[in-house]
Amino acid sequence: MAGLSITSITKKFGETEVLKGVTLDVADGEFVSLVGPSGCGKSTLLRIIAGLEAPSSGSIAIGGADVTGMRAADRNLSMVFQSYALYPHLTVSENIAVPLMMREMTGLQRLPLIGGLMPGGGSQRQRIGAAVNRAAEMLEIGALLDRKPGQLSGGQRQRVALGRALVRDPEAFLLDEPLSNLDAKLRVQTRAEIAELHRRLQATFIYVTHDQVEAMTMSDRIAVMMGGEILQCAAPDIIYEDPEDIRVAEFIGSPKINILPLEHTANGLQLFGRSLNWHLPNEGPQVMQLGLRPEALRLTHKSPLLTGRVAHFENLGSEVFAQIALDGEATRVTLRATPAERQMLGLGAEVGLGFNTTSALVFNHAGKRLRKVEACAGMTSEVA
Amino acid sequence: MAVLDAGAVAKTRPETRQARTAWGLTAPALVLMVLILMVPVLVAGVLSFSNYSLGNPGFDWVGTQNYERLFTRSTYEKMFLATFTYVITVVPISVGLGLGAALLVHSLGRIGDIYKTIYFLPVMATLLAMAIAWEFMLHPTIGMVNRTLAMACGTWLEAIPFFATGCADGFPLWLGDRDYAIWVICFIGIWQGFGFNMVLYLAGLTGVHRELYHAAEMDGAKSAWERFRLVTWPALGPTTVFVVTISCIRAFQVFDTVEAFWPQGGGPNKSAYVMMFAIFEKGVQQNLIGIGSAITILFLVFVMFLTLIQRWLVERKVHYG
Repeated sequence: MAGLSITSITKKFGETEVLKGVTLDVADGEFVSLVGPSGCGKSTLLRIIAGLEAPSSGSIAIGGADVTGMRAADRNLSMVFQSYALYPHLTVSENIAVPLMMREMTGLQRLPLIGGLMPGGGSQRQRIGAAVNRAAEMLEIGALLDRKPGQLSGGQRQRVALGRALVRDPEAFLLDEPLSNLDAKLRVQTRAEIAELHRRLQATFIYVTHDQVEAMTMSDRIAVMMGGEILQCAAPDIIYEDPEDIRVAEFIGSPKINILPLEHTANGLQLFGRSLNWHLPNEGPQVMQLGLRPEALRLTHKSPLLTGRVAHFENLGSEVFAQIALDGEATRVTLRATPAERQMLGLGAEVGLGFNTTSALVFNHAGKRLRKVEACAGMTSEVA
Repeated sequence: MAVLDAGAVAKTRPETRQARTAWGLTAPALVLMVLILMVPVLVAGVLSFSNYSLGNPGFDWVGTQNYERLFTRSTYEKMFLATFTYVITVVPISVGLGLGAALLVHSLGRIGDIYKTIYFLPVMATLLAMAIAWEFMLHPTIGMVNRTLAMACGTWLEAIPFFATGCADGFPLWLGDRDYAIWVICFIGIWQGFGFNMVLYLAGLTGVHRELYHAAEMDGAKSAWERFRLVTWPALGPTTVFVVTISCIRAFQVFDTVEAFWPQGGGPNKSAYVMMFAIFEKGVQQNLIGIGSAITILFLVFVMFLTLIQRWLVERKVHYG
């Protein structure tokens, strides 16, 4: 096991710059997720870490040793692929044994029949067999060892791919969207299992996903990538509650965060022409954006700040999400309500909304967080 | 009457009606298949036990005499020898070359298309016309091959025994020498056939999942040979079975070159007397339909045998589904 450090990695495919100077340090035993929309460069970054792709510039170090020019086979990393990439002609146990056979046995020892007769071949084979059984036991696939990948379900294949990765003792595990081919139920189950595996192995995991739920539930830290850059890398709760960038706030959280325009005029801050009771120093920027999570909004009757009609609502049982079309504006906001408030949210019902200032996020027009403004706004306890 | 008919239709179960329609729709194809594919084979089978000649009013049954001749006469011994020499030489080499060329072409980008076209040229060309071109080239005195070889005389190459004897006593007659004739036929067969195998392998290679190579690399397969053994070769299994079977059948069918080089007899001392030529000579030129049919049946047995092996291999060994 070892930590990884990635320093100003860039990658160009022809004229297109896929990675624009990515720097990331992963501590020993840490579970870091790279999350972002398709085409943000997260898979390319993982493949560069693995050594399957060479960076245009920058360097990679594993456990303090520079491996930038080293080929993938020499880096001692394990990888789980999105398609699982199991060898179709080998049984499950042979598939899991491949990394050990390739690394520990000589070409002669690997020969099908006479390999066992080569010096050391027999004992090597026994040792590898034992390691395969251990890995299979850990993943509960002992009963499948003699099957071919074609005879397995998606979830079972995924376990075999995991088994092949953890049968040896690599410096780090790289996982490239390993759950994206599973159905929703299995995904939830496997998610928990991978997190548990990480706790048990105490190994370094780098996990690429486009699914924010996976990233939120499994990782020690999340690196949100967009347009070839890491926008923010922090613990899941910080990413959610305290995003640095509006793109991070928009990407993480489901349903999406509500973004409303905020104007700074002579009369103070205004939201859709209504004045907010926030005291700002005058030098603040003119146009700002207000980010409100669905749970930050709440229904209120007393002088509501926003009014609108319920345009659509989704009842998930434990909670209700309602889309409110704001009066006089083209914008819709999403509100999270408790099941008890459901009666008030009939389609077309007129509702008033308020929010808690402390949970409001303010960004400038370019999307950067304005903590100073929030600090000022925090002085007044409640806007409603 | 109309009421009765309606009752009858209602009584037949839908499955029966569907089955009847299905048979009705299949019937034309079945009839044609039997008439133009099965019946000729059966007729050939029947005739192989007779001494029938085209134009004769009748024929006599000769029992297994035709087959006995096939396995006892030295002419047919030569036929088997020539055919199997050809098959055993041409199939492995043309498959191997096809695979090698496919791997090399596949690793290239744009230029690969040019190679593809060049290697495929002999496949597209008429073998009969090509055989005539080869005949000129292999002419003992004015042919390009021997004149090129003669250029080596007087150089250090004469240290090689082949050139030493060639320069002293003249280079081989190629098509006139019974030691060389079948090998010349083999060479032309490989030259003509491997491009086809290459194209089949190229199609097979496009089906190999790229991520498997990355997985192999991560698993520690460092050399190209290890990656080939671990990923490429197993993935090409179904293609290989198909390529080998097709190559075998094509090799058994070799005829054009033999007919073009030696229209009167299948090579010097019948050293290139391949099966197809024997069928043509006996059945068509000499009008001995009986013996011609017997060779045909034997030929069909070989091909059938190969096809069965292919089916078995495809179902058991190389389909990993």
